[in-house]
Order: sequence, then structure tokens, then C-alpha cells
Amino acid sequence: MLSRTHFIYISACVAAFSPSCLLSFSVAAMQVTEAFKHAFLKQMLLGFQASAVSTNSMGFQERKNAIKLSADVAMAVARGSRKWTRGLIAGLSEEQQNRSFLQLILGEQYERRLMKPCYSSWKIPRCRKIVRRSLRVCCRRQKKKKNQSGVLARTLVEKRTQQLKRLVPGGESMDGFSLLDETLDYVLSLRAQVDLMQSLLTTVESSKLRSHSKRTLPERKASYVGK
Amino acid sequence: MPVEMSSRRSSSRISDEEISELISKLQSLLPESRRRSMSRASAAKLLKETCSYIKSLHREVDDLSDRLSDLMSTMDSGSPQAEIIRSILRS
Repeated sequence: MLSRTHFIYISACVAAFSPSCLLSFSVAAMQVTEAFKHAFLKQMLLGFQASAVSTNSMGFQERKNAIKLSADVAMAVARGSRKWTRGLIAGLSEEQQNRSFLQLILGEQYERRLMKPCYSSWKIPRCRKIVRRSLRVCCRRQKKKKNQSGVLARTLVEKRTQQLKRLVPGGESMDGFSLLDETLDYVLSLRAQVDLMQSLLTTVESSKLRSHSKRTLPERKASYVGK
Repeated sequence: MPVEMSSRRSSSRISDEEISELISKLQSLLPESRRRSMSRASAAKLLKETCSYIKSLHREVDDLSDRLSDLMSTMDSGSPQAEIIRSILRS
């Protein structure tokens, strides 16, 4: 019977040969299901409507920000409850201009999200110790180095960890294990966001082309008649 | 049967095995081109590559938002929304 480690390793190897495929572990890892795609696109659309992006009165930057906001909220909503999704919403609501949008889109859920206390912030004192321990496992795999460079390596890991914490929403208050776990989930969600936005773009582009060609076709025919 | 991650976290000790699992998952997450330069996975390299990958994904989202904004600026309000709804219902 396959142990869990074997299962993970095999799946990882399979995933390695298909660069664009998303990991499909059966357990805690995120999967881009049809339900996720639907939820994301639906939320995007609701977001567009709420901020009225299709009206001509908006400036380019304003519309772009509204689109980006819709996309991020859509990603968080479609994913459900994770540390990073809560961190993302919390981060967005720090800006005054986003609050009415969030209130509109999330409704009651928004109130509840704000009320939820941040338990993970209590772990901050343990943070550094856990990060160092959890990543020491990786360092052990390296060839033996002099003491000095060992210290340097740990400092570099520390530095990179801080960078990662700033990139992952809510990362600042996560311990080492949570950080890696949430990073994995966040990256999968980001990839899905990119793919879905791309397909939305393609859909809108092709619908524009179709409606445009329908309009100009009779004119084109008329211009040939003269010859 | 694979065990839920949340039940693991309730015990104070997180095993090295679980951490290695996460790290190998993270590594396999990176796109081919980045992974090739990481023949031996040092923790610092993995973190660095993950950070730069996340940043590049952020840039992609930003670029796609630009293009969507561009596209939607020259749209009549009626038909494209309907088209989007139809494509969502179709997929």
C-alpha cells in the first residue's frame, strides 16, 4: 500500500512533466474545479456590474483598478476560507476607497470577515524559531559548508522568508508551516486567476470582433461594387 | 487514506516529513524554466524562485487588467455582458 509520502512524490513527478497543469492531490491542496471557475467568473461579473466598468464615463486607470479589485475579490471568494483569502480581503479593506465595493459585493460575509479575530498573530513570537526549524530540513540537504557560510545561508533563508511573507496576503502573521502551505494554495489560485482572466479577455475580444464584422460587412461589399 | 492537514496542525510537533512534502510540492509548482536552474533545492533558492514566480503572476494579472480595461472602454453596454454571461453558462 502506498504511503502518503509516496503518493505525494509520484503526483509531484507527474506534475513536473506537465508544466502548466495544476497539482491534483486528493486532499488539502487546491483544485481548479468547474465550481471554482464558475464562482470566479460569476464574482468577476458581479464586480464589474457593481463598479459599472462598462460605462464610458470611467477613466482608464479607474476602470483598470475596478477590474483588478473585482478579480482579486473573485479569487478570494471562489477559493473560500483560507488564511491568505482572509488576509487579502483584510488588506483590501484597509483602503477606504475599496470598502463600499466590498460591502456591496460581500454583504453580510464582509461584516463577519472583519469580526473574525486574527488568531495567527498570537504566534508571532514563535515565528522565527519555527521558520528556522522548518527550513533547516532543506538546509540539511546541502553539502557541508563552513560555519560562516552556514550562518549566511540561514540569514538568506530568513531574508527570503520575509520577502515571501510580504507577497502572500496575511503572510506577516504566519508561522513557517502555514506560510509554505498558504503559499502553495495562493500560487495555485493565482495561476487560475490568470487563466480565467485570459479566457475572459479572449471571450470579450471575439464577441467584439463578431459584432464589429457584422456592422462593417455591408459597407465592405458596397466599396467593391464600384470596381 | 490521506490525512487532512488540519488534523496534523493540532499536534504541536510538525514532522520533518510533512515539511519535506510541502517543500517538494512547492518545488514542483514552479514552472519548468525556473525549476531547471535549481538542480539542488536549497531553501533560499526555492524561496527566491517562489517569490519571483508570485511577482510574475502579479504582473500578468496587472497586464490582463490593462487589456480588459482597454477592451471594455470601447464597448456598448448591452451585448458584451450578455456574451460573457452566455459563455459562463456554456462552460
